[in-house]
Amino acid sequence: MRRSWRKGLGNAFGVLATSGLLLALLALGTMIATTALQAGKLTAMDAMAQAGLALSLRSVDLPGLGFLSYVVAAQVDANSAAAQVGLSQGDVIVAVGGRPVGRPNEVWGAVKARGEGPATIAWIPKPEKLWGRLQAVARPERAGEFCVTLTSIPAGSKAQEAGLQPGDVLISVGDLPVTGTRQAWEAVVAAVRSGLEEVPLEIEREGKRLKLSLHPVQRTEIPFQLDFFGAWWRFLTRIGDPRYPERTGLLSALVGSLLVVGVMALFVFPLGVGAAVYLEEYAPKNWFTEAVQILIANLAGMPSAVVGIFGLEIFARSWGLGRSVFAGGLTLALLILPQTIIATREALRAVPRWVREAAASLGATPWQVVRFHVLPYALPGIFTGFILALARALGEAAPLLLLGAFLYVTFVPKSLMDSFTIVPLQIFDWATKPQDGFSCVAAAAIIVLIITHLALNSLAIFLRNRYQRRWT
Amino acid sequence: MLVNSHHSITSLELRPPFGRLLKERFIRWVFMVCAFFAVVITFATLGMFVAESLPFFAQVSLGEFLGGIRWAPLHEPPSYGVLALVADTLVITAIALGVALPLGLLSAVFLSEYASFRLRQVCKPILEVLAGVPTVVYGFFALRFVTPLLQRTFLPQLSFWNGLSAGLVMGIMIIPLVASISEEVLFAVPRRLREAAYALGATKFEVTTRVVIPAASSGIGASFILALSRAIGETMIVALAAGRTPAWPPDPTRPMLTITTTIVNIATGDHEATAFIWSVLFALGFLLFLSTLVFNVASHVIVRRFRERFP
Repeated sequence: MRRSWRKGLGNAFGVLATSGLLLALLALGTMIATTALQAGKLTAMDAMAQAGLALSLRSVDLPGLGFLSYVVAAQVDANSAAAQVGLSQGDVIVAVGGRPVGRPNEVWGAVKARGEGPATIAWIPKPEKLWGRLQAVARPERAGEFCVTLTSIPAGSKAQEAGLQPGDVLISVGDLPVTGTRQAWEAVVAAVRSGLEEVPLEIEREGKRLKLSLHPVQRTEIPFQLDFFGAWWRFLTRIGDPRYPERTGLLSALVGSLLVVGVMALFVFPLGVGAAVYLEEYAPKNWFTEAVQILIANLAGMPSAVVGIFGLEIFARSWGLGRSVFAGGLTLALLILPQTIIATREALRAVPRWVREAAASLGATPWQVVRFHVLPYALPGIFTGFILALARALGEAAPLLLLGAFLYVTFVPKSLMDSFTIVPLQIFDWATKPQDGFSCVAAAAIIVLIITHLALNSLAIFLRNRYQRRWT
Repeated sequence: MLVNSHHSITSLELRPPFGRLLKERFIRWVFMVCAFFAVVITFATLGMFVAESLPFFAQVSLGEFLGGIRWAPLHEPPSYGVLALVADTLVITAIALGVALPLGLLSAVFLSEYASFRLRQVCKPILEVLAGVPTVVYGFFALRFVTPLLQRTFLPQLSFWNGLSAGLVMGIMIIPLVASISEEVLFAVPRRLREAAYALGATKFEVTTRVVIPAASSGIGASFILALSRAIGETMIVALAAGRTPAWPPDPTRPMLTITTTIVNIATGDHEATAFIWSVLFALGFLLFLSTLVFNVASHVIVRRFRERFP
């Protein structure tokens, strides 16, 4: 009886331990899955950008209606599909493929849901196109008050269709009293967003009140191409326009990352291998060697923020390197060097003692032993450690954030003294931007970072398994 | 000085030629310089912190710095109470360790005691890869997934920036670190201890909890200390997800300001480089440097002792 109770407890503990690992893996899996899900919107964003549209969110607080957000075409490219159907900068997009939209995220969601091919876009023309220029005119009969009048009605406009004429005074739009030129148009947007096709207008013409109805919404078809590979290719190979998530790109951050990590590698590889060879092959066993080892272990555990402060003070300010690629590479080198030394030492330690003794007994000098016998055997291990160090360096953001690397640069760094940004910092920048779409491009950049990380790690594991010699 | 006399066996010289000796000396010297870099860097860091934070401690007493709860260096009059920052840092660290220590230790126990050899061979590299995932990824996850999830489910009053989700995600980040170090020490516990316990009739559970874990306790403790040091020094997750206003009393559902985030704020801010705020940066960096140094040395010493006990 007692025996089975003990066994049950043991089994429960086994289950608990298993679930511990599963939970840990689940949390990490969720992380990667949600990021991939967020990045999935990139295709739809690109489709919109390829149609010539850059979107932005506007919001307005209308008295009587409250807070309202709407999507405005912030940029329309000349000769694009959007421009050809008559859309221009400042028009408001109210529905895509029959789905009402109030913010850019919803537009992209609708495009994605709609899929490939033409989609109907419902939009309200900007004020100049809807009813021409409005004018606030002082009322001669009532001092201090003014009214909003139409000055000229563009030919073929919705206002003309509704029967508005120059000189008409707008009294109310969709039950909202008109208080300003901009507000009158926003009242139209609000009425349409609340579901009205037909916006009732009250006007004053030659002293008489009239009721008209305006159909402000235009519907046009725009062909959208959901091009997955094209979208990613464009995202990775352009510098882009940092103001709009659908037009921004990762190129300058990619180049910056490669340059900084390249500079880092140039310093870390010789120094790290040299230090490891000294400690493992040459150093006498005394307190000094012991102290150096402890110092290196501590350097490896130093927080990246502290390394960043060091880089900022010594490289950027004292040495006058500024916020350059060179200073960034040196700072990263400081962070990665101890790790490389430790990994290289482990690789050297794996070479058995008798290899050294056999070589030395044949008359090889210490350098010859290292150069022709120890290093060749240790090389796969050294490379494995080095690739892992590169993977870590590519993902480090904190020291360079402190160094003051720019969060976004609109050029590709060409020399070592140029300023730069790197992929993790670019992600940091995008992730903190509140506008719709930036979290999606941040997720896309994260996917790039994770794929690089996984590729480098797999390469390291492959090298280790393939070339590492087992000494029996 | 040496004559190469291959024709005369009597003057055979066993010493290598002078040129080669010189080369050997030179190479050895070069390697030594490489190793010496670590020493130089450590002392340069220490020297820099001492020298640059002197102006700060000349103006602000150590008691005011470590005892004050109001952190407002840019206000008039300024106040440099670091206790609020330390408290926020420790609360986030505690949340992170609350996640990482149990899950990491359980994973380690599973891998070392329960998993088959093959599963262990597969899981260990996975843990290693996960331990290296860039921290900015975790920060993004905290900000864009965990916080909205918590707001929708348990804590509707949670603010957009908060210490809670930063701490939770930091815990997830630290799990692989705890798991891989603990697993190594658990695995290194000699087989004879387990077998002796089994021979006395202990169940697997009893062997694991009463023999293996106590034997490995110092190594597990070292992994916990290392996790602590890692959590205190973590920058990107808190900079992204925890916000930029100090909370006193510390409340993880509100924005929190850690030491590392403050350093980021000062370093990336538009303050005059010569201004007093600059030495504040070094004072904070010094604090961070010293605290992580203490933890790292402690963990190093403990692991070394463990290795000596079970070589």
